[in-house]
Parts: sequence; structure tokens; C-alpha cells
Amino acid sequence: MLTLALDTATRVCTVGLVQDGHVLAEYDISVGLTHSEGLMPQLDQMFARTGIKKENTDRIAVSIGPGSFTGLRIGLAAAEAMAYAWQCGICGVNTLEAMAYNIPVEGVVLVPVLDAQKGNFYAAFYEWTDGELRKVRPVEMADRETLLQQLQACGKPVLLMGECEKLMKKELPDGISVAPEQVRLPKASSVALAAEDTEPLTGEDVFTLRPYYIRKSEAEELWEKRHPQG
Amino acid sequence: MEQKDIYILGIESSCDETAASVVKNGRDVLSNIISSQISIHRKYGGVVPEIASRKHIEHIMPVIDAALEDAKVTLNRIDGVAVTYGPGLVGALLVGLSAAKALAWATGKPLLGVNHLEGHVFANFINDKNLEPPFLALVVSGGHTALLKVTGYNSFEMLGQTRDDAAGEAFDKIARVMGLPYPGGPEIEKLALEGNPKAIDFPRAMLDDPFQFSFSGMKSSVINYLHNEEQARRPVNRADVAASFQEAVTDVLVQKSVLAVKATGLKEIVLAGGVSANKTLQNKLAAAAKKAGARLVHPTKILCTDNAVMIACRGYYMYQAGVISPWDLNAVPALKLGYKSSGE
Ligand SMILES: [Zn+2]
Repeated sequence: MLTLALDTATRVCTVGLVQDGHVLAEYDISVGLTHSEGLMPQLDQMFARTGIKKENTDRIAVSIGPGSFTGLRIGLAAAEAMAYAWQCGICGVNTLEAMAYNIPVEGVVLVPVLDAQKGNFYAAFYEWTDGELRKVRPVEMADRETLLQQLQACGKPVLLMGECEKLMKKELPDGISVAPEQVRLPKASSVALAAEDTEPLTGEDVFTLRPYYIRKSEAEELWEKRHPQG
Repeated sequence: MEQKDIYILGIESSCDETAASVVKNGRDVLSNIISSQISIHRKYGGVVPEIASRKHIEHIMPVIDAALEDAKVTLNRIDGVAVTYGPGLVGALLVGLSAAKALAWATGKPLLGVNHLEGHVFANFINDKNLEPPFLALVVSGGHTALLKVTGYNSFEMLGQTRDDAAGEAFDKIARVMGLPYPGGPEIEKLALEGNPKAIDFPRAMLDDPFQFSFSGMKSSVINYLHNEEQARRPVNRADVAASFQEAVTDVLVQKSVLAVKATGLKEIVLAGGVSANKTLQNKLAAAAKKAGARLVHPTKILCTDNAVMIACRGYYMYQAGVISPWDLNAVPALKLGYKSSGE
């Protein structure tokens, strides 16, 4: 089974091809080009270079969030359109969970984070046991101090992943370190591997996939605050 | 030799309508699907960009699917994918553009990036099958007011545009000040039906440059009028205000269009953009054009508002001229009108 995977949730634009668990290609760009400009050329170049016919794609795995709202929509719109064109299945994968597939090792708590602005972070906790990824703590928003307290309470070594630049500005407590850069950010191959055991959406169900925003839009939040009766 | 039929899929998501359409040979509409978000944005008093983008991603593929199904044309039979890449809300544009690029790339079809405003002009080719360049175009929408010479299917020449507010923008602002619901343009038009257009003499800025427009002074004077009457505790005849304001805006638009007809000697003028649905503007311009020896063409109501038929129609003429967009085409929220296209 040939899986085409893509992730445009963060500043990295990553596309990959995975055949039955084997990574055939992966192409990551992180130089600040917008994903709108980069995604299609990257896909085009990857297929040209591998010589694989794009129509032979059996399923598409796409990172659906959390992440940049615009980035998520670029990736999802493209993924749905390709699934529609090739009449293949599509799997939506949680961006943070997919990152945990970058480092499938036991004995550490993996904590992918996303910058939620204003000193806040989205973070989820994962741990590998017996070859299975387990969610230790679901996605929550926390400021630096709260997050670090939660991490220290784990009682295990912690590896931070994702957008951790702002967390690294000040020294981190003992037992908490940052994953090496080459495996810190989203990788399409991990998105594909995270999708291996999921049942893809097919046919018209492809259109039901939605970005995982976590938050409502600011306008909606404000409106609800002003109109508590709805 | 018999020519092969050309089918273009059009996709539009620049503001608050998610739309897709299939057009055959540039002028034959096979389907026109529009999913409008107007009711969703009404409670916020205008389009909320993030909410618009969220609705677009939910609707884009079902709308495309419905357009192909309605047209009874398979995706494989499509010859090119046309899509709006600007102007508009960047997040909204990116949804349609990303879907269009992936569809075109996945099926090996050419991508045709369309200027939304050129699309509005091309809506007239659908209504008048005999219309051919050269002609004049008056583009009036929420973001633009411009007089344009359409010299060929892929060449346009700007005669003049607004220095400040667009005509549609002035309509929307006055509607908001008067407490009318979004979208304001049609509400003003409705209210004006019961009013006297000669009741209040709002200033008409004619400017030195015959083809430039300015609506901000007119807008301020309407707002000042409402404010002064309120201060003096005099009752305001809202219908008269709406009618007199609409009269002032359309007077300027019509006079400048007539000047353009006379200056260029062109015998046809087309209306384009959201405000082109305004009946008062249509009637006054048609009468004035006739008097100047020209003919007015305007789209039907459904093609005045944002739609994908006009995008497919514009795309068809780009396809014919070989103007194909690259895969790295990005959304251009402030895309301008009136520059010569690269084709022809
Ligand atoms: Zn428009």
C-alpha cells in the first residue's frame, strides 16, 4: 500500500511517500516560503524524482492539526482534492501525535508543543510502550511555568518537540531536554506511519474531514462573551 | 475542421461565497453552484475572515463535486482548472486555490489563475453571447470602482479608478451607519425605492481627472447629515437619505462612463462587480449610454454577485491564449486590475 503523506501545520512543509511501512521518499522544506507556493512543486518534484506514478497512490495521510489555521487548510484542501481526483482514501492525523512517531523509543515522555502565542503553548504528552504509542495527556494550553510543572510531575525524562524555541530561551529544569533538531519538527513519513492503522475515509466521507483548530475563531469567542444567552 | 469542445472548471472562494462551475467553450454554462455564507456573517455585521476560511474548507470539495455532477462532466473530461487567486481575503483565497492546484496537478490539467475582477467583467460574455472586445467596462464592487478598456480577451487598459473608497464600500458604510443589516448595498437599494432621490443634495466629486472617482467626501457628507439631524432632534426620512445617496453615487458613475464612451468612441459598455446588480445604476446607465450612442450590457443578478461561472469563462480565454499558471501560484489579496495580461 502506497501512502502519500503531507504536513503543513507548522513552518515546515513536508511531503513523503511510504510503501507498507518503508519510507521511499521524504522532502522537507523549512525556509519560510509559504506552503501555498511550496506544496505543489514539492509534491511534483518528489514524484518526478522517485519515478512513482502519482495515480498509484492508495491513500493520503494528512496532518489536520493543531497548528497554523491557514497552513492546515492549505494541506487539507490539497489532500481532499487529490483523494477526490484519484478516488483514494484519506486519513486525518493529529499533528502532535504524528510528531511522536519521529522518536519511537521507550523510557521517555515525548511532549510535542506548538506556540499558542502570548506566552502560551499547546502540548500533549505521549509515551511508547511495547511498540505502541500511548497518549499520557491530551492537548492542553498552558503557559511556560504550568507546562514545566506538569513535565516535572511526570517523574520520567522528558523530550520536548515541535515549536519549542520560546521554551528554550530560558534554561530548562533537570530531566527536561529538547529533541535534536532533525527529529524535532513534523515529518511526512511520521504522518504516514501514524496513519497506518487507521481506517481511511472514502467516497463522499472524504469531504467530512475538518482541521483540528482547538479554538473557535476570535470573532466567535468575542460574540459568545457578549451574548451569553446565545 | 470540427473543433473540440473545451470544458473549464471554475473555482471561486475570494470572500464569502464558495462556488464552482463548469463552462463549455467559454460561454455555455453547464453548472453554477454557490454556497453562500451571508447568513453566517450577518450577526457580525460583515465578513469575518477566519470564519469565512473555515466555511470554505468545509464546502469547497462538495461544491466542486456538485458542479461536475450538475454539468454531467467527469473530472477527467475537464480541459483546465480556473481559480480566483486575487483580489480577496487571503485565507479564503488559499482554500480554493489549494484545492484547484491539487485537482489540476493530480489530473495533469493546466491551472488557470484568474483575477477575480477580470472575472466580473467576463460575466458579461455569458449574458451576451455576441459581445466581443473592444468595449468599456465599469467595475463597481465593495473593493473597487474602475473604468476599464477591454481591448482584447487578454488585454485590458485602465482608464481610471477610485482614489479612496470604492462605491460599494460607501454603500456598505452608509448602510451600517443607518443600522441596516449586512450586506448593506441591497438594503439601501430597497429603502431607496420609497424615497425621493432629489430630497437631499449630497456632493458629487467629479475631480479633474475625468476617469477617476472619489466617494469618501460623499460618504462623510451623508454621515454628517444624519448626525446633524440627530443633534437637532429632527426626524430623518431614512428612505430619502438612501435614495438621495444612491442618486449621488450613480450620477457620478454614469457621468464618468458617458465621458469614457465619448473619449474612446467605443459603442459598448459593460457593468461588472457586486454593485452592478443595482437596478437604479443599470437603468440610468442604460439610458445615458443610449443617449451617447452606446449600448449597455450587464450580467443577470446571479452573475453580478460572486460566482465561479465568470471565473471559468475568464479561464477559458486564458486557456485559449496559452496563459497557464505555475504550481507555485500564490494568493494575491491586493491583486490589481488593468495591467496587460501576459497572453496575446
Ligand atoms: Zn466579487
